[in-house]
Amino acid sequence: MTAALEISGLCKTFGEKVAVDHVDLSIPQGSFYGLVGQNGAGKTTTLSMAVGLLRPDEGGARIFGADVWSNPAEAKTLVGVLPDGMAMPERLTGREVLTYLGLLRGLPREVVDQRAEELLSVLELDEAEKTLVIEYSTGMRKKIGLATALLHAPRLLVLDEPFEAVDPVSAATIKTILRGFVAGGGSIVLSSHVMALVEQLCDHVAVIDKGKVAAAGSLNEVRGDGSLEDTFVGLVGASDGGSKELTWLSR
Amino acid sequence: MAVALTMVQMKVAVLRHSMTGQRAGFIVMGALVGLVLAVGTIFLAFSWADLLTAVYAVWMLGWIFGPVFAGGGDETLRPEYFTLVGLPPRRLASGLLVAAFVGVAPVISLLALTGLTVFGARQGVVAALVSVPALLLQLVVFVLLSRVAVALLGLALRSRVGAIGAGLINGLILATLGQIWVVFVALGQTQGIPPVVTTVTRYLPSGWGLVAVEAAASGDWLRAAAALGGMALLIALLLTAWAALLTRRAGATRAATRGRRPMRATTASGAVLAKELRTWSRDLVRTHQLTFAFAYGVCFAAAPLLMNWNGMLPWAGPIFVLMAAAMSANLYGSDGTALWLTLMTPGATDVRGRQHAWLLAVAPLAVVLTLSLAVVTGGPEPTLLAILLALLGGGAGLVPLASVYALIPGTDPHRRGGNPLRSTEEDGAVTGMVYAVLALTALTAVPAAIATALLGWAGVAVGALTGVLCYWGFGLLAERRLLAEGPELLDMMRTGRRPAAKPGAVGRTRFEDLTRRQQIIAMICFTTGAIPLFPQGVVAGYLKVSESSTRSWFLALYLPSWLQWPTIVFMVVLGVAMYTTGVIVSYRRKESPVAGRETVTSTEAA
Repeated sequence: MTAALEISGLCKTFGEKVAVDHVDLSIPQGSFYGLVGQNGAGKTTTLSMAVGLLRPDEGGARIFGADVWSNPAEAKTLVGVLPDGMAMPERLTGREVLTYLGLLRGLPREVVDQRAEELLSVLELDEAEKTLVIEYSTGMRKKIGLATALLHAPRLLVLDEPFEAVDPVSAATIKTILRGFVAGGGSIVLSSHVMALVEQLCDHVAVIDKGKVAAAGSLNEVRGDGSLEDTFVGLVGASDGGSKELTWLSR
Repeated sequence: MAVALTMVQMKVAVLRHSMTGQRAGFIVMGALVGLVLAVGTIFLAFSWADLLTAVYAVWMLGWIFGPVFAGGGDETLRPEYFTLVGLPPRRLASGLLVAAFVGVAPVISLLALTGLTVFGARQGVVAALVSVPALLLQLVVFVLLSRVAVALLGLALRSRVGAIGAGLINGLILATLGQIWVVFVALGQTQGIPPVVTTVTRYLPSGWGLVAVEAAASGDWLRAAAALGGMALLIALLLTAWAALLTRRAGATRAATRGRRPMRATTASGAVLAKELRTWSRDLVRTHQLTFAFAYGVCFAAAPLLMNWNGMLPWAGPIFVLMAAAMSANLYGSDGTALWLTLMTPGATDVRGRQHAWLLAVAPLAVVLTLSLAVVTGGPEPTLLAILLALLGGGAGLVPLASVYALIPGTDPHRRGGNPLRSTEEDGAVTGMVYAVLALTALTAVPAAIATALLGWAGVAVGALTGVLCYWGFGLLAERRLLAEGPELLDMMRTGRRPAAKPGAVGRTRFEDLTRRQQIIAMICFTTGAIPLFPQGVVAGYLKVSESSTRSWFLALYLPSWLQWPTIVFMVVLGVAMYTTGVIVSYRRKESPVAGRETVTSTEAA
């Protein structure tokens, strides 16, 4: 079966810093794939290149077999993306953002309206009907971002830190939506540095460290008998063990 | 003082890190232009001291209005950085004030203000001594006026009424300055600067330094003390005002309660149009820009009414169009990383929608303005209509084109903090772009102007044709560029850095790729090459040919006459050689490119 997302030999260098160094990953269809790594490990850069938002120095990516760079039209209709910290059409309300993007994707107006209504109410954004996106809180921005990723019914979701700054109630809602998406045959890649969350949601996981894949496979393969956190710290953690204390804070 | 010193160190560190690549190039270029203006000002102190107060008034207006149109002024250190430190507002303001003197613009202005010392030295030692505190106080006044103006405008831009009001006032002031000659003529002065200007500019805060120096020279100590004390008092007042404004800014939240009209679009292009039109009306910075352009056009064209000539009146429309194009020059940059959505929906015609929206925001107003004023003044003439049509198309084409080809990375709208004007860190580049788009848009009307001069009314058709061609062709180019370089543009927007030249690209060496030594050589050559070439060479040569008695600082003219021509020629050759060296050093490929790093995108591989 064609992989939902096939990343092959991706490389990216910023100035002197090698951000992503020959990353190969294969996300099987129907999988819930977690990408974990420390801050600056290269998760965001990898995902940006995988969906066509950043041009790689080397390598490429295919979404359900469609090359992201040579066949973007097909690849990009199959994927929904939630990037981290990017701007939106800031002077629109949440509903208007969804209407705008739905029409941009070529959906009929009635479909857009119906989906927007549903997304806004499920994500509890319908109360802020008159608020412009620029006035949204960080958590609300994540939620409207997720709504835009889901709007066109993609087969693959690529989510960069989808739970950051989201309150526990909304997080539970989002988890339900995502689980339902996978149960319905969809595939998800999400990046996070919250191990418990990845363990709870994902069936596959890849550990990225210093721009390279340190481990990848099904959750059980990667974590073995221990917890994912222990495996992760073992793979990427500092060699001197025990955590450091701040001298001026301990009495 | 500790706070101030820390802030100065912070600012120096930030500036040092931002002096890379093209941005350093822009800073150097801006510094160069400033240097020429400063030297010109000092030059006036030697020859036409009467003009000095007027010129300092222009410097002051530059400090006040520059930031309004070029990225919100210097905010290397944002007040928000210090909200959690818990400084009292006055200490925060004084700290930021001290740090504000670190930078190119204050240094250039200080240099320009040494004209006061030059002027004082010509009057005597005492006046020269008084000029030192005078020029320092004067600089503080400039910097503080600038900060207070930006803070006030930031406050005004929190409401629609404020944005429109500020746009009208700014348009009125700048158009009046642009048409100042009309005012002179109206005052019955047909040549030179009327004495009233000298008097008025003397009373403006920008003239107080000169007043102090003059008074000291004539022994009028009371007047000198009053002028210096006045500046000190003004500084204290401005500082208090600024401190108060800073607290307003940090504590500001804005709740939107207004009803929103529903989006009725049903197609992709309709959606882009609806999005853009909403941005035009809801983003108060854009509202301010449009109102400014409108007020500028009307005031500029109406100014000659002061001398009972209404022939210029209908031109308010075309001037409005020109200004509106220049103001929206960095269209894509102002939306920041929202570009990712365009990249994720290939096939959507973002550029066309934006062009359409720009036209809808500008054209109806411009057409009504032009036609109604033309009727008032005796019917439209072909030139007017031809140029209006050409400019509308030219602007609608050039605005997106310029913003994708010369994109200036901006700050994302939701990250601008308390200063809505702060759309980018690169004020110099934005200023340059505004002028470039202004000039280029004006150029798009040239064929129409020529055609009407030759053909009369048939020229209107030519104007309409070039307008449509510009709209269509430039839009197409912009669309293509966005498609081809979209990810690079997004990356530039996200990181604020311009993308690296691809290895193997010919003649595209970046400044930061040069070695430190090459950078220094290139910078010295570019910044100082103008001195031997123009003033010491060309201008000196011109003065010699015209047998002028002015010698000023032209070295050659002080030498024995048999040495004068050889010196002039030497200076010209030196200047040209310096520029050539600069170009050669910058464009020579770095000798050791990173081995084995080839750019292979999957597109090329496929």
